[in-house]
Amino acid sequence: MSVINAVTCPICGCLCDDIEVTVVNNEVVKVKNGCAVCEAKYMGYKSEHRIRQPLIRKDGKFVPVPMKEAIHKAAEILANANYPILYGWSSTNCEAQRVGVELAEEVGGVLDNTAVVCHGPSLMGTQEVGIPTSTLGQIRHRADLIIYWGCDPWSAHPRHLERYTSFTKGRFEDSEWKSYLNKVKAAAGRKKVLSATRVAPKQQRATVAEEVVFNKPPETLQKEGRKLIVIDVRKSMTAEVADYFIKVEPNKDYELMQAIRALVKEQELDVDQVAGVPVEYIKEVVDALVNCNFGIIFFGMGLTQSAGKFRNIEVAISLTRDLNLRTKFLIMPMRGHFNVSGANIVFAWQSGYAFGVDFSLGYPRYNPGETTSMDILLRGESDAALVIASDPGATFPKRAIQNLVKHPLIVIDPHMNPTAMLGDVVFPSAFVGIEVEGTAYRMDNVPLPLKKVVEPPEGILSDEVLLKNILEEVRSIKAQKAKKAEVV
Amino acid sequence: MIVLTPLKKFQFPVHAECINPDVFKGKSVKEIAALPVWEGNKKKKLSDIFKIEETPAETPDITINGDATEVRRVGQGMKNGEIVINGNAGMHLGEKMAGGKITVNGTANGWTGSSMKKGLIEIHGDAGDYLASPYRGSTAGMRGGTIIVDGNVGGDSGCYLRGGTIIVKGNAGPFLGFHISKGVIYVEKNAGGRLGASMTGGKIVVSGAVDEFMPTFTVDGIKKKVKIDDDFKAEGPFYVFLGDLAEHGTGKLFVSQPSNPQFSAIYDKYL
Repeated sequence: MSVINAVTCPICGCLCDDIEVTVVNNEVVKVKNGCAVCEAKYMGYKSEHRIRQPLIRKDGKFVPVPMKEAIHKAAEILANANYPILYGWSSTNCEAQRVGVELAEEVGGVLDNTAVVCHGPSLMGTQEVGIPTSTLGQIRHRADLIIYWGCDPWSAHPRHLERYTSFTKGRFEDSEWKSYLNKVKAAAGRKKVLSATRVAPKQQRATVAEEVVFNKPPETLQKEGRKLIVIDVRKSMTAEVADYFIKVEPNKDYELMQAIRALVKEQELDVDQVAGVPVEYIKEVVDALVNCNFGIIFFGMGLTQSAGKFRNIEVAISLTRDLNLRTKFLIMPMRGHFNVSGANIVFAWQSGYAFGVDFSLGYPRYNPGETTSMDILLRGESDAALVIASDPGATFPKRAIQNLVKHPLIVIDPHMNPTAMLGDVVFPSAFVGIEVEGTAYRMDNVPLPLKKVVEPPEGILSDEVLLKNILEEVRSIKAQKAKKAEVV
Repeated sequence: MIVLTPLKKFQFPVHAECINPDVFKGKSVKEIAALPVWEGNKKKKLSDIFKIEETPAETPDITINGDATEVRRVGQGMKNGEIVINGNAGMHLGEKMAGGKITVNGTANGWTGSSMKKGLIEIHGDAGDYLASPYRGSTAGMRGGTIIVDGNVGGDSGCYLRGGTIIVKGNAGPFLGFHISKGVIYVEKNAGGRLGASMTGGKIVVSGAVDEFMPTFTVDGIKKKVKIDDDFKAEGPFYVFLGDLAEHGTGKLFVSQPSNPQFSAIYDKYL
């Protein structure tokens, strides 16, 4: 039995690096410190869906083949393609991503990652106006006003509040854990009283809840100490623990933010309410924003994928910029996959662009809407695809998937996921962060080492080695072709 | 005149910035046929993908007969001459053009007239997103010239406009005239949400209904007519809004009063 300390969890953008894993006979038997999702991955990654050997589709059915044959087939598809897509990259390490850039350049393809359906708009918004941000350590120690806008870390990044924001004791700010406990106790008490005296029909109760939502901002919002504001279209789990929850009308975040910007600049608005929120309450929130010492806005897909998309992020960053004229304010996207930030960093460091990089003209080009995989698939322009460390089969729209499967599809994944089921050449790969070590970038763009805690099953290669083999084979096929052309 | 006819229906993007009157000028058909284009990741000659013919007519300089939806960057940076496309046009048509005329007898795709400086683009159909808007991250929007669209335009059109005129005879998508500082945009029918968001100057006139109106504009009055250019005045009455307040903007937004009765309850009290 061996106990491995300080393991980095390969699940979400939080990259918690305090996990303790106990291994017996090359199997994980115990996980300490992790959240429920972390534990589920470490304990359940060896499921029956694991792919054990390379597969090639022949006559509509998967046939197990030797690794060499699968690599040759994949390389042949990519080398002969006119406009291939190389998509995914978010659940693998930076070392594999780096080989991916080389491969995309070699085959003249489009290199794109899952940001295109996630935080791509954040990257585009950043390109428009820049981004004032910091590491999570700064926020943990100093932030006294935390805003979660369009995200629910309680469910999606379970240890975010505990490790970096409201419920952690920083050097200059205390944890709000106790006040949260009191709040939960009070809420439970209220619930009991309500259920004991409940006579109102269902519909009436809903009206009461609506009224609670648009309550005046509490006085505590203007006091010293850590405060938490949640802005969302529904009362999420994080909103339950917040000091103040603003229920914004769906797809109206842009209007609300622009109104806040105008109020920060001491302009008067003609309207009485914005996005369903009374302007007088927005003014009180603006007071809290301006009077804090160190504020931070965390935003999620509620902003990036609602109407406005990258313009929402642009205005959120502009708001942060405006607030910095009055106090200290920062902003940060809540990245999803554990190394989606790493993919953007590696792509940007190698090609100059963070996602949607088109190498078809021999040099990197970038224009979301034109060179992004989703748009290319919807227009049906590609003629081959390689999908690695992601599952577009489960997340892309129907028309995009129909166009994806019209042409040869290479999939590299540890599991037989929906994309792999649609593939023509499927490679098994080792789990990054469990069976393979490497580097991953946290949501604040801090690189952290991933540890190898168990050995991968026999014959299963890492993403990096697989891609290197494919790249080598592509080069040899191209060299042979060039030789033939010379002879002719 | 050179007439280009696509030899097939293109699946892969074709990059053909060589289709430009300035580039074709003084070249024989043989020389034009050898001009480089890209189809997907393969470098080809123009004659590999287009049938090239010369006719005695002088104007237009270049005619494309057929579907050119996938043919991008036609007329990029052109300074003189005329291009007519009898079919749909691809992305980046007339990007950064500094003179001449482009006519599309069909639909135009995204980034048409992107960052153009001078000249005229006429689209006798719909236009895609980002009409006249600059490249990602750039604030160098259209600076001069005229774009006339007979149909509808997509989202984010006329962003960062710094001059020139855009006339849309159909409907406009969201974020029309985002962050404009100068110039005129006229929409004959309806406009989408976030109209004129972050505008700091310039003029946007909408004769139809406005979908969702930004709260950061303040009403300034009512005007009967608004001048679009020397030959054309839009008939009102129009609400006159100033904004965007979030940018301390002084842009003017004219929105039709009869088409927007929902404004009466909110803004009439300030008039």
